[in-house]
Amino acid sequence: MNRKLIQIYFRILGLVSLAFGIADILATIGGKSICLGILEVPADIFRGGWGGLVILFAGFFYLAGSRDILEVHHFSKVVMGSVLIWLIAGCDIFAMLCESIPGGEEGPWFNTLQGFFATYAPPYKPAIFLLPFSLAVVYYIHKREK
Amino acid sequence: MKLNVDERWDLIDRIAKRTLTFGKYKHTLKDALGDLTIKPLTGIPIAIAVLYGFWSIFCSFAGTLCTDGFFVKLFDGHFLPYMQRIFSNLPGWLYYILIGNPQADNCFEAFGMLTSGLFVAIGVVLPAVFIFYLMFTLLEDVGYIPRLAVLIDTVLHKIGLHGYAVVPTILALGCNVPAVTATRILETRKQRFMMMTLLAIFIPCGAQLGIMQEVIPTSMGWVLLYLLLGYFIFGFIIHKLLPGKSPEILIDVPPYQMPTFRNVRRKLWLRTSCFLKKAVPFVLVGCAIVNILYLAGVINWLSNLLSPLFVGWFGVPKETVGPLIAAFLRKDLAVAQLSVIEMTKYQMITAVVLISIYFPCIATFAMMLKEGWRELLGSLVVLATVVFVYGGLLHLIWRLLGVA
Repeated sequence: MNRKLIQIYFRILGLVSLAFGIADILATIGGKSICLGILEVPADIFRGGWGGLVILFAGFFYLAGSRDILEVHHFSKVVMGSVLIWLIAGCDIFAMLCESIPGGEEGPWFNTLQGFFATYAPPYKPAIFLLPFSLAVVYYIHKREK
Repeated sequence: MKLNVDERWDLIDRIAKRTLTFGKYKHTLKDALGDLTIKPLTGIPIAIAVLYGFWSIFCSFAGTLCTDGFFVKLFDGHFLPYMQRIFSNLPGWLYYILIGNPQADNCFEAFGMLTSGLFVAIGVVLPAVFIFYLMFTLLEDVGYIPRLAVLIDTVLHKIGLHGYAVVPTILALGCNVPAVTATRILETRKQRFMMMTLLAIFIPCGAQLGIMQEVIPTSMGWVLLYLLLGYFIFGFIIHKLLPGKSPEILIDVPPYQMPTFRNVRRKLWLRTSCFLKKAVPFVLVGCAIVNILYLAGVINWLSNLLSPLFVGWFGVPKETVGPLIAAFLRKDLAVAQLSVIEMTKYQMITAVVLISIYFPCIATFAMMLKEGWRELLGSLVVLATVVFVYGGLLHLIWRLLGVA
């Protein structure tokens, strides 16, 4: 494993997670969600405040773990950072899924195919952007085991 | 066959050779992850994240998908008009008990035994309880709950309990009835009494959470925060006032493991079916009794009698007396009843908190009685004091903030 490269990768991911977490919390304090193209920073107390705090923790885990990534205790922190991102992103995706199935108050029982796919259209919450990058940890777990 | 000492040692050696591997133990990734969930510095953020996931999935599944997505449409759009039509020939009083308000166009307002009763039990409470127990079982089988117990042990010791008190506390979020039974895992009589009292007062059950999610989605966080604060403040006070011991415990933390489908399915079925057997009859009978009390004018009489306390001390409308009486039968029904009373946001928060901390529902009451009448009486004394002090305090906070 190229130790330096992995360390830089997770350090950058940690910094981005920290930035997203802080943005979530600030948007919640300001009481107004921020929409930047396909990125939406939520402002509600639950997703923005509580969820933002979890993303912030994920950032700290990445930064703390990337100091010596080959050592198992440090690597576990990086893994935990990714687990927290999966948890938040998973909850965001699950919420979209639950929203996309019913047809709405006045509509039919089930959503139309068009309506179903429309629910998954952008903007997305920050954790969803972090999700693909956090999956890199699965590759390193696999590589470590080998 | 009898073995002498040498033969026994030989046997032990042979078994050890076949079953044990000797060498230097290296910490695996699984061990390191396990450590992270126990150490306070890393464990607390993880616990916050786990609770977020728990809550988020609960709301999305029970609220967005099941209740709002399908059951509201089914009950309000089809079931209620159908019941109103087929029972239209019933005498007025019987119609009121079974179907409820004839002008109602949704099941929250109808409040009949067969309309709101079934809607609350099947449409709101069942999905909430199902998803709650599914997630609790998964956390339990993965091995996270014992770690949470270790993590929270120091905090709970401050109020005279120990880490495993987290089990009845979380169980009570599903239903207070099995949680009262689960208090038996605590060692001393003092701890069991404290736990029983605290969960009966401050822990809202899954049914109540489901209804709160429907009725006051934006204020729910405040209600829960207020209840959580009460849990620790009054826990601390009771601990200081009560004689008795709060011993240390040794918790065996198992390794993390993959839950098996069979175990999860069995536990989920056992818990959900047990809840349904107990809850559905209580909801239906509860609706009927409350409607009879309304028809007999008892609730109106009580509202007038208690209005100085409710309006003056708690700052809520006198109409909330009715839901408070219903709360003895089912707390979820009572919260549903509050939704049709005209109130400000702050009065609604106070009323929901009062319902939560007021008398435990009749099923929990019966379970507490089973644990001992002295404990029950003691809990009721604490409860009456808490309702009076805490309800008044909440009203005072709103007044100081200038919103009451």
